[in-house]
Amino acid sequence: MSYEKEGFVPNPILTGLVGICPLVVAAKSLAEGAAYGLGAAFCAFLLGLLIPPARAFLPVRLQAPASLALSAALALIYSFCLEMYSSALAAGLWIYLPLLAASGLSLVALRLSSSTSRSGPDGQSRLAVIALQSAWFLVTSACVGAARELLGLGTLTIPTPGPSLSRIAVADFAPLRILVTPAGGFILLGFLAALYRVTLRASGRKGL
Amino acid sequence: MSYLGIVLTSIFASNALLIYGFGSIPERERKGSTSLASALALACVNVIASAILWLIHSLVLAPLRLASLDILFFALIAVPIIKFIARVAQQSSIKQDSILFKLGERSDDLAVGSLVYGIALLSARSGYGLLEAVAASAAAGLGYWLSQFLLEAVRERLELSDLPTSFRGAPAMLLSAGLMALAFMGLDAALIKNLVGA
Repeated sequence: MSYEKEGFVPNPILTGLVGICPLVVAAKSLAEGAAYGLGAAFCAFLLGLLIPPARAFLPVRLQAPASLALSAALALIYSFCLEMYSSALAAGLWIYLPLLAASGLSLVALRLSSSTSRSGPDGQSRLAVIALQSAWFLVTSACVGAARELLGLGTLTIPTPGPSLSRIAVADFAPLRILVTPAGGFILLGFLAALYRVTLRASGRKGL
Repeated sequence: MSYLGIVLTSIFASNALLIYGFGSIPERERKGSTSLASALALACVNVIASAILWLIHSLVLAPLRLASLDILFFALIAVPIIKFIARVAQQSSIKQDSILFKLGERSDDLAVGSLVYGIALLSARSGYGLLEAVAASAAAGLGYWLSQFLLEAVRERLELSDLPTSFRGAPAMLLSAGLMALAFMGLDAALIKNLVGA
């Protein structure tokens, strides 16, 4: 695609809807959005880094199951780290922490790093694409979480370490309480995707 | 809750796509995701995955206080079993357009993805017995298929409508999914419990 030649990696959430559905439920606050985005970025980047060398010494039949097991192990490592950092945050993300193993971003990283196509980007470029997509995912997830919490509850939750999270009351009212529900998450992301498309068109990037 | 209550809750009040966000909303490229083979594949894969994970979780990991490792064991045990069954189904079907072949093909795609992982984890961790977990996961698969089917119908209608360019495609689907999620939220678990009994 043209954006690959330009060195531009589009936002995977707002253009490709990568990993969007779990994000709609998991990222209900700034802290949860940031923690979920960081987890997805952590798993995807390490998968991109570890799979190509692992493929060199693993038999072909074991490569796919080993990649899935590695993805699950990375999700578990991140879950344990988050549990140690803040048990409240880990409890808030609930089932979505182990599900990082099968998040859309992890699956894209798995596919990119397992690709044997010679026509596509080389290993370093693939890792750079995964890193940029991961960074986009982290930023978007944190922003979506913050917007939903701010407009839905009038607060901002800071991901502080310890058993409880610190919550800052920003407004006395919550104008769009629906945004903290999954339905509100889908609607907000729909508007953000349209806005992102307008921004891309305005900057002259067509065809996205 | 009765089995009917569990099934209705899993289809509507706890819809896998619109309430839990497992899986993904329909894309134009994905053909056949709303077919009968797809619905059957979803139910079968979810039943197999949930039964395996429930057995691992309840009989092995929970007594050893290692329940949080269930996702790793799921990837190591359940996914290869589902893929093996899917390949056997594909190889044992005579014609490539037979429902068994399509079922196997779709099951192979489904084995790796947040939908099957999510439903299996939810069933294993929700405190259900084995049969209840299996019923809930089969119904969750059907609930996911129902929401895909409805969203696909909406997408077809939207393609014919005069939407602003920026809203065509993914943004319109997300907005539709949001409105549909609102409708599904109306059927909450307490209401279903009152309707069909405890």
